[in-house]
Amino acid sequence: MDQDYALVVEGVSKTFYLDQFLVDTLKARLFSALRTKEVKILKALEDITFSVPKGEVFGIIGRNGSGKSTLVKVLSGAFVPDAGGKVIRNGSSMLMSLSIGLSHELTAAENIYVTGSALGLSLKKIDSLFNQIIEFAELGEFVNTKIKYFSSGMIQRLSFSIAVNANAEIMFLDEVFAVGDAVFKKKAVEVLEKSWLDGRTVVMVSHSMDNIKKYCHRVIYLQKGKIRFLGSPEEAIQMYMEDNHVEEEATD
Amino acid sequence: MTSVQREPVVAHRWERMWMLAKIEFKLRYYENKLGLLWALIKPASQILMYYLVFQVILGQRVPNYAIYLWSGLLVWQFFTESSTGMIKILQTKKYLYTHTNMNKLEIYLSHMMSISISLVINIGIFVIGSLISGIYPSYHYIFFVPVFINLFLLSLGVALLLSSLFLLFKDISQVWGIIVGFLFFLSPILYRGKLFEEKMPILNYANPMAGIIDNARAVMLYEQQPDWAMIGFDFVYASLIMLLGLWMLKRLGPRASELL
Repeated sequence: MDQDYALVVEGVSKTFYLDQFLVDTLKARLFSALRTKEVKILKALEDITFSVPKGEVFGIIGRNGSGKSTLVKVLSGAFVPDAGGKVIRNGSSMLMSLSIGLSHELTAAENIYVTGSALGLSLKKIDSLFNQIIEFAELGEFVNTKIKYFSSGMIQRLSFSIAVNANAEIMFLDEVFAVGDAVFKKKAVEVLEKSWLDGRTVVMVSHSMDNIKKYCHRVIYLQKGKIRFLGSPEEAIQMYMEDNHVEEEATD
Repeated sequence: MTSVQREPVVAHRWERMWMLAKIEFKLRYYENKLGLLWALIKPASQILMYYLVFQVILGQRVPNYAIYLWSGLLVWQFFTESSTGMIKILQTKKYLYTHTNMNKLEIYLSHMMSISISLVINIGIFVIGSLISGIYPSYHYIFFVPVFINLFLLSLGVALLLSSLFLLFKDISQVWGIIVGFLFFLSPILYRGKLFEEKMPILNYANPMAGIIDNARAVMLYEQQPDWAMIGFDFVYASLIMLLGLWMLKRLGPRASELL
């Protein structure tokens, strides 16, 4: 039965221990044994359970600090959930936030090959897509320039352009529409509609309720690390809006 | 534009690692003005330094001392470039595994490949150097393969261990710096292995680099077969360290994105 699901999430919590004095050296560890610890505990996620069928577009909404990005990181495997929690991914995945992980020490061309390959494309396939990727990113003149000299906009375009062709079955998109100018945003939407929504499972974090409403089949609404609501986009958005409204009034 | 196509992932693994190895190699040697020359200047200056101290000043009695030093340093350099050089690999290569499902072991292997390319080049230059000093390479060079396997396993194992520990202890490189300093002088690089064996026989077994260096010299300089018992011992030793390293990476590796 699990095979019908792209993602199965069971009892996932994520706790961050914020030590006032960072203990990540041997020296610190030796000395920290001698003093009473002042550890701040931050429960970023608490007991999250849900599953996403294959091919679904799944939205995550919530206020800043509600745990959206942490959840996406746990789902994609970048973070490990607390003991007892379980995340099953059926298929290869890609996590896209501001970028898809490019090396600043490499040129645009090298990044295309390295990241393209890490995303599951054969070198032959990258050869055939190369010009298309460069063109889409509008970086024709800078193919052999190290991307540390690029502007943030250029890096995003390159990221996007590589990610369009990613050979991943599950896409985790964390606020991919939040940045870039109007022209680029339009391109990003095109990519989403033409490539990423095509038969794949997409988990999307967004503050844009328009995008959530337009693309998502189901939405999870997170509040302080817990599931406040899981169901239709309309209801989730309405609840989110109402909560925000109540909070605004309370602060007034 | 594209739809989801499942391509044979395993088949691409090797071409990907090879590509990463080549890029790594390029980054190391072609990024500065002197380029590949650096790869020569560093060992050459070391040989000169030790030669001055041990041959000219202290007057030790190993024949062909420069070549003797060179062969030892060659093997030693491989060990330090992989162990010391890869401590922070999970940090510098974070961009590779945070966003995809790429196996971290691939990152290690590609790095080891690039260091192996340097070794092959270094050996090539060494052969020319030894020809000039009148030592002709023999078929015994083929026995370098088992010596290399041990060296590779040991170096990769130590790299896996150190880089995993780096996730928890950021000052592990200082600790390793001290250990590597001891190991250097407790390996038969500057003096004869026999000398070493007489004074501290246990070290031949405690320090796996000792046997590896002795065996490398046997095949490169003395037209001998390696000491097969030592090869066997070092293989077991290196494999155990390698397994420990793999276990460490399996345990700590999944938290790398979070901790770095």
